[in-house]
Amino acid sequence: MTLQGIGGRRERPLGARVARLSLVLALVYGGLTLGAGYWQVFRADDLSRDPADAGVIAAARSVVRGRVLDRDGHILATSRRDAAGEPYRVYADASLSAPLGYTSRLYGSAGLEAAYASELLGAGGDDPASRALAKFRPRVSRGDDMRTSLSLSLQRLAVQLLGTDRGAVVALDPRTGDVLAMASTPTYDASGIANPATSRAAFAAARDDPGQPLLDRAIQGRYVPGSVFKIVTAIAGLSSGAITPATTFPQQPGAESTGLLVDGFRVRDGHHLFTGSELLDFNRATEVSCNIWYALAGLRTGGTGMDEAARRLGFGAPIPFDLATASSQLTNGGGRLPGGFADDVELANAAYGQGEVLVTPLQMALVAATVANGGVEPRPRLVTAFVSPSGVVRDASSGTLGRVLSAGDAAAITVAMTQAVEGADGQRFTSGAQVAGVTVAGKTGTAQLGGTGEPHSWFIGFAPAEAPTIAIAVVVEQGGHGGARAAPLAGEILAAFLAAKP
Amino acid sequence: MTAAALPGFPRPILRRRELGLLLAAAAALVLGNLSLGLTRTGILTLADPAGLLIYLAALVSVHFALVTAGRRVDEVLLPTVGLLGGIGLLLAERLPQDLVVQQVGPAVLGLASLQLVWLVLALVIAAVVAITVRSDRWLRLYKYTWAASGLGLLALTFVLGSDVNGTRLTLDLGPVSGQPSELLKVILVVFFAAYLAENRVLLADARVHLVGRLTVPPAPYLLPAGLMLALALGIVVIQRDLGAALLFYAVFLCLFYLATGSKVDVALGIGLFLVGFVILALVFPHVRDRVATWLDPWADPLGTGFQTIQALHAFARGGLLGTGLGAGLPTIGGQLPIPAVHTDFPLAALGEELGMAGVLGCYLVVVARGMRIAAAAADDVRALLCAGLALVIGVQAAIIAAGNLKLIPLTGITLPFISYGGSSLLVNGLIVGLLLAFSDRGPVPPGEPRRGRRVRGGA
Repeated sequence: MTLQGIGGRRERPLGARVARLSLVLALVYGGLTLGAGYWQVFRADDLSRDPADAGVIAAARSVVRGRVLDRDGHILATSRRDAAGEPYRVYADASLSAPLGYTSRLYGSAGLEAAYASELLGAGGDDPASRALAKFRPRVSRGDDMRTSLSLSLQRLAVQLLGTDRGAVVALDPRTGDVLAMASTPTYDASGIANPATSRAAFAAARDDPGQPLLDRAIQGRYVPGSVFKIVTAIAGLSSGAITPATTFPQQPGAESTGLLVDGFRVRDGHHLFTGSELLDFNRATEVSCNIWYALAGLRTGGTGMDEAARRLGFGAPIPFDLATASSQLTNGGGRLPGGFADDVELANAAYGQGEVLVTPLQMALVAATVANGGVEPRPRLVTAFVSPSGVVRDASSGTLGRVLSAGDAAAITVAMTQAVEGADGQRFTSGAQVAGVTVAGKTGTAQLGGTGEPHSWFIGFAPAEAPTIAIAVVVEQGGHGGARAAPLAGEILAAFLAAKP
Repeated sequence: MTAAALPGFPRPILRRRELGLLLAAAAALVLGNLSLGLTRTGILTLADPAGLLIYLAALVSVHFALVTAGRRVDEVLLPTVGLLGGIGLLLAERLPQDLVVQQVGPAVLGLASLQLVWLVLALVIAAVVAITVRSDRWLRLYKYTWAASGLGLLALTFVLGSDVNGTRLTLDLGPVSGQPSELLKVILVVFFAAYLAENRVLLADARVHLVGRLTVPPAPYLLPAGLMLALALGIVVIQRDLGAALLFYAVFLCLFYLATGSKVDVALGIGLFLVGFVILALVFPHVRDRVATWLDPWADPLGTGFQTIQALHAFARGGLLGTGLGAGLPTIGGQLPIPAVHTDFPLAALGEELGMAGVLGCYLVVVARGMRIAAAAADDVRALLCAGLALVIGVQAAIIAAGNLKLIPLTGITLPFISYGGSSLLVNGLIVGLLLAFSDRGPVPPGEPRRGRRVRGGA
């Protein structure tokens, strides 16, 4: 009736301010929408595939995980149902514990089971469009099967040969990067952890084992490499032009008996008993594993050259792989010299695999594979394809990590590594790696750890030398000399693989 | 036969726009209910036909009550709020019913039934207020009384209240219990609107120098409002209701800006807020923990960060289009992944099942309508009052949404109209009722040209 307010005294109109404030609030809501978009679109994939995602965990209790298969179609992991009808995992063999890991209702998952949880549960691998379409399909009850490049027989053999020792074996196809075997000992009872009835006891046993079986030594173990690292030095020296296969060092023969003095530190050798005062070239130095020749080669290559080659090979960063890998290192990185070396002594020592060098077995297998593959480093992979329950195959990508050295330099290193296994003096160390009817290229390593313990026993190599189909790295913790433990172990694996090949 | 034929009764006014929008909202809710039913049973069926029917009937009743009352009030608010409430009801229906269980007489009611009861009550309040409130004199004349009673209620909670989740927010008086801080936000808006409108010229023009050319309003004029704000903030902060504190402060700043137009003062206010926040973080460990959890919830993924992380995962699982109602929020061993999803994280649940949280737009509509009403208001008090009421809803939704999305530290306040909670729903119903009442454009002006004389009440 009475509208007193209308036309009343108004000093300044509120209307403009109301509009402005509305605009601010609209902007705030725009920001909220952007925030929602960030989580719902931009981060949607990595969050909803996380093994800790409630959807993945819930799916794990209802969806039957896809099987894991080896390269020949052998079943590595399959699922059974417990009394309540909830599925649990069963693994073909304890030797698989390192690469496959486990999945457990109580303890989550590890290894490939964790890395590809969403695919194995049938939830992943889709682009947004097919995800949207999936809303109109009935719920999955079975995940994708996962094909791996592993060979169950080779994996078993590797673990069996490592026996009660702690150590690791990585074997891969140098042409494709397909990992054929990836063993880490001691193994643990992954099936026991997966089975709800035995989960607690099996996990406690694995966790409390002083051998740390839950540590995947093949990719997470960082070891002093010893002389197998000379192949990295060779790659650095040859590719930087600092050395050639004909390179000799005049001071080398004279230093053999007393040791080469570098800044007050003596680099020692043990082969002068049979090489005497011989002037060694690249092939001979590799054959007899001459520390002094390699120390001099490393000093000539310099910290920068060593560092660049190591980085090209993948040192200093995790290796792109299906599983999380530790980084290998050339130095601790804090030194004042180029490449992070503290002084020439460290550089000289690093050149033959001592100093502050630490490597993973996978990294050293890739070093061998790079030489075997004509200088191009293959990108390692374990998973080759996913197969949906309806039979749709999605191949996993394969590729390379780039060229590390020229084909010519790779061929030169192959000659030297072949001589190290097959040569008259090389046989003194490495005869164990030989395979009847096949030329093997390789290098042993004996990693001195300081103290009184036995050294780590190393071997890296590939075969057949003229057309390699397998590259390998073996480390046996405190296994003694490289020729004593690792080389024969590698020989047996190479022989088994090459004999099985048609 | 219409009511207009009877003397003393208002002439009904058709509300076509409201009816159309209501039908659209109802269609959306029916579809949602069907979708939930389909997901659950695999056949096309309504998940909760009774609940849906009661709710839609309540909405339509409010509509016809407004028609019958013949008031020319806003026609967009009711459908918008109705849609939000309906979505909240769907969510309550979709969540496990045992999240909240209450014995009411002989009946034991679960989450959805309780939410429905509160929603219907809130609609009744909105309708009654919208129809009966004609003047705001009773609000503006007794602003100090209102303010004092609001604070008194809050203080009473502090003394007599019971602890829920480590915060003392609930006042338990025999059969009646509630969270007074919900009501306090309306009372504060009333007080601030009345006070600021009265003093706005003084606040804007009678400036004193603070430092150099920087001027602020003189202290005596600021004092009553400042004191009121400080008291309210102090109590809710001690009660650990940080969300309410943020809401009060933000709404106060907005109203202050509307009243004085001084951007400098607003900037100073924001600066003061940041300083106060830092001091709070230094003094109270629980504030510090909140901030730490906000910055990196993954630092303690199974402890303090759990809720936040689970909410973000829920958003991620939803993606652009959502999983569909009932198809998300996987339960693990019978447990929902997000603790307190029905009160603190409804947006995460909606984000998962309905996709890119489109419901946010509805709050913006509420704010826009409220601001329109404010701009058209007859005087300053009413303008500020309406703006403040709309802001309470809009800012509160923004605060909890931003907390859910990890844009700001999480504070436990409700998502208006959607979160479970009686106090929150009833107070929001009151706000909608007041906004509707104050949007009244008055009776149809007389003398409007008419084509001939209509015969009413039948021939």
